[in-house]
Amino acid sequence: MAAAAISLKGASKTFGSDRNRVDALVDIDLDVGQAEFLAVVGASGCGKSTLLRLVAGLLAPTRGEVLIGGRRIDGPDPGIGIVFQTPVLLPWRTVRRNVELQLDIRGISTPSARQHVDELLNLVGLSGFGDRKPYELSGGMQQRVSICRALIHDPSLLLMDEPFGALDALTREQMNLELQRIWMETRKTVLFITHSITEAVMLGDRVVVITPRPGRIMEIVPVRLPRPRDFSALRVPEFHIACDRVRELMNAAGFTE
Amino acid sequence: MQRLSGLAYPLAAVVGAVVLWYAIVIVFHVPKYILPLPGAVYQRIVEDWTFLMYHSGITLYETLGGFALSVILGIPIAIALVASRTLDRALMPWLILSQTFPKVALAPLIVVWFGLGLMPKLLITFLVAFFPIVISTVVGLRSAEREMLELAESMRATRLQMFWHFRIPLALPNIFAGLKVSVAFAVVGAVIAEWVGASAGLGYLLMRANANLDTTLLFAVLAALMVIGVVLYYAVEILERVSIPWHAVIRLADTATTA
Repeated sequence: MAAAAISLKGASKTFGSDRNRVDALVDIDLDVGQAEFLAVVGASGCGKSTLLRLVAGLLAPTRGEVLIGGRRIDGPDPGIGIVFQTPVLLPWRTVRRNVELQLDIRGISTPSARQHVDELLNLVGLSGFGDRKPYELSGGMQQRVSICRALIHDPSLLLMDEPFGALDALTREQMNLELQRIWMETRKTVLFITHSITEAVMLGDRVVVITPRPGRIMEIVPVRLPRPRDFSALRVPEFHIACDRVRELMNAAGFTE
Repeated sequence: MQRLSGLAYPLAAVVGAVVLWYAIVIVFHVPKYILPLPGAVYQRIVEDWTFLMYHSGITLYETLGGFALSVILGIPIAIALVASRTLDRALMPWLILSQTFPKVALAPLIVVWFGLGLMPKLLITFLVAFFPIVISTVVGLRSAEREMLELAESMRATRLQMFWHFRIPLALPNIFAGLKVSVAFAVVGAVIAEWVGASAGLGYLLMRANANLDTTLLFAVLAALMVIGVVLYYAVEILERVSIPWHAVIRLADTATTA
């Protein structure tokens, strides 16, 4: 059997010490398969962002270990791309140059990589915007640029930390559909953090529910819905059953929306 | 239209001040050696134009030299303080102490050590002008958002790349704010340096005019200093607009959305 794309073994993360000690995550055991779309939901401050930062190698686990492609990591793995809640674009670079930032920093200078920028901008519906500056774009468009930047070096893992949390509801639904399409075209392994139950169930192959303080995996809910899922496909009972199950778990964990 | 009214207000203020000045001198019969009439000051400036220009040139030279020294040393000092926690802990208290301490008091000592040439003047100007640059650069370098730094880290950026591609450009708006304060301080520094020991420059002229109770010349020199200060300030502002156009645009967009 091939190694899991992401594997956490007894991973725990504690912040501070003694009286100010916060157990953000406790004993996380989780395997994410190749090309799987794994959604993680939980209340604010339940440690779901910490989970993403452990996988990204931005934080080191206090106990346990994190493996990517079967290898234990002790820093950001070369094969990851991250999308944060804010687009974090550099205002002095054009859209194209912002996407290329990833190549500049990693020292990738092949002409094919540069050509790939156009394909990616096309993929997210931003062809023709390459020479614009970020502040000329709407919030949704800025976040698409940051998705391109996360994909330009062809990573095997796409880590997304509430990427659409700052967008309005309509743009958010639009972006959900687009992300699904991008994922189906690129077949990356996606770790998707969100606090929206609908978003998690709509996008995820499985939905991991995390309890707040200390953060533990409460249950993993499989979502067996055919793809591509669009909003009409979400009228089926299976979608609502999965949503209800996730909501039940979150309520049981003492989460109030 | 907007441009015109933008100029109209400061102009009206100047005209108002000059009228008030005339009124005070005439109504209260203020003697000439206390407060000369604006017209007399103007006449003096015209008469002594080349003389004033010569001394202005010297002060401007010292100001720019001290300011350049402040930029060349201030920005790297700030980068070093942000890059190294040890340096920050070791040097920051001394930097702050050096500023709470009246720098004017150091000026005579510097003259004793370095004589009356250009060098002590640059040093005094530097001492007065470099601190705002260090402080605002440090603030700017530390202002990068957490997610921006995490992004850089996720790309496995080296420390050098971290500063070059992220921290330094993001700090530029703060750096320019510091430069504007610093350039104004540099003029003060050059005048102080000339007070302590000089044979030319506007600071030297001030001392001489003061000794002779030549109040008209005093005012003419003050006018020259004002012009130097304003011109240098706007020069920095123009440089800011040219080098970080994105900042002005974002500022405008922010005020537009909050308004």
